[in-house]
Amino acid sequence: MVNIIDVGLGNIRSIEHWLGRSNLLYKRVSDVSSITNDVIIIPGVASAGEYMRRLKERNLDKEIIVRSGQGQKIIGICLGFQILTEYSEEDGGTECLGILKGFTKYIDGYKTHNGWSAFDFDSRKLSKNLHFKKQRKKIVSGRVYFNHELEVELEGAHAAKLDNGITSFFIQDNIFGFQFHPEKSQNTGQELLELII
Amino acid sequence: MSFRIGATVLIDHNGNAVQSYGFKKKRILGNVQKVLKFLDAYEVDEIHAIVPLKGEGDDKSSDIFSRLSEIPISTPLGIGGGITERNIGEITKDPFFERCIFNSAIFNNPELLQKAKSIMGHQSMVASVPFIVDDGLKIYHSKTNSFKTMKDELWKEIESNFNEVLLLDASAEGDKKEFNFEVFEYIKFPIDRVLISGGLTKFDINKAKKMGLAGVSIDNFALHSEYSIRALR
Repeated sequence: MVNIIDVGLGNIRSIEHWLGRSNLLYKRVSDVSSITNDVIIIPGVASAGEYMRRLKERNLDKEIIVRSGQGQKIIGICLGFQILTEYSEEDGGTECLGILKGFTKYIDGYKTHNGWSAFDFDSRKLSKNLHFKKQRKKIVSGRVYFNHELEVELEGAHAAKLDNGITSFFIQDNIFGFQFHPEKSQNTGQELLELII
Repeated sequence: MSFRIGATVLIDHNGNAVQSYGFKKKRILGNVQKVLKFLDAYEVDEIHAIVPLKGEGDDKSSDIFSRLSEIPISTPLGIGGGITERNIGEITKDPFFERCIFNSAIFNNPELLQKAKSIMGHQSMVASVPFIVDDGLKIYHSKTNSFKTMKDELWKEIESNFNEVLLLDASAEGDKKEFNFEVFEYIKFPIDRVLISGGLTKFDINKAKKMGLAGVSIDNFALHSEYSIRALR
């Protein structure tokens, strides 16, 4: 049962449609007591300050940090990826979860990054990651959708940049971060879901 | 960034997708669910689903958006038309969309725009700017159902509140009589964050691409076989 973090923000319904299309069971979690030991998805489409405020209000920030340390799989999408870092420049500066060493900053010159980029992912390059060993499918190739004004800068991590020069995704052990929106990346997003869940 | 080929879908109060012609006539295209699913299958780059309002809106937009939320499309979606202080909480409580499109609020509702930004993020904000060029640039204000002369201060507001602008050539809407590029003589907004719509021909789409615009939003022609989305991209 996939846990979708629900603090009344983020495109939760789009995430549900994404999971539903692959026949995955899911539930929304808005308090600590209802989280199960399965995957946790932190959705995107919100602003960091308000999102972190609501996570803290429900003690979900600490719970996510503890569970990520225990090896529970966390998938952060767009803003959900950005708040895995230590802080974000959004909303005048926001302290984030600090699960990933690094920070989130405005794209140089306050530029925005909207649209589609080519995406090729071969999980055999992450052969040490136990998750992928279990998967039959190994390669996802297509295009993915971005809509963001801030980008993640990670310290010496296994982050991947696409042809757009943006840190587009990060996968290490149980932490999966996507700057793009796999849930709105049509067939490619669907294939990716089936590889990562 | 890649040039985007989006599609505009106008929705009437009965939940039908409609084609509007020059802001005057309307033709029903069919159930919006079907239309969105077609566009999803055609893999357009994004969909702009708008409830067109003229004059004071009513609260039907919330119902329409609520019904849209049940349609499981995997294409990025922006919604607009009738988002007000009264219903923004309800509409954004359970978003199935990535972008919010505003028209009337551009003119005199910074509170609503601020609220939308704090909930959805600045990256989600799109200004819908239907225009005519007639002794200068005039842009449509849906609440008063009139075209108003565009002032420089308004461009500053748009620049600060919006991530992108969707420019609709109101006099060419629903037709293939060419988009009026003269509008760019008046635009004070970065053109790489501008999408255009209304009257688009293949020539216009190529021109927009060469100019470095963010993309186009084509109307019901997107549903016609002579337009291959992939080829246009």
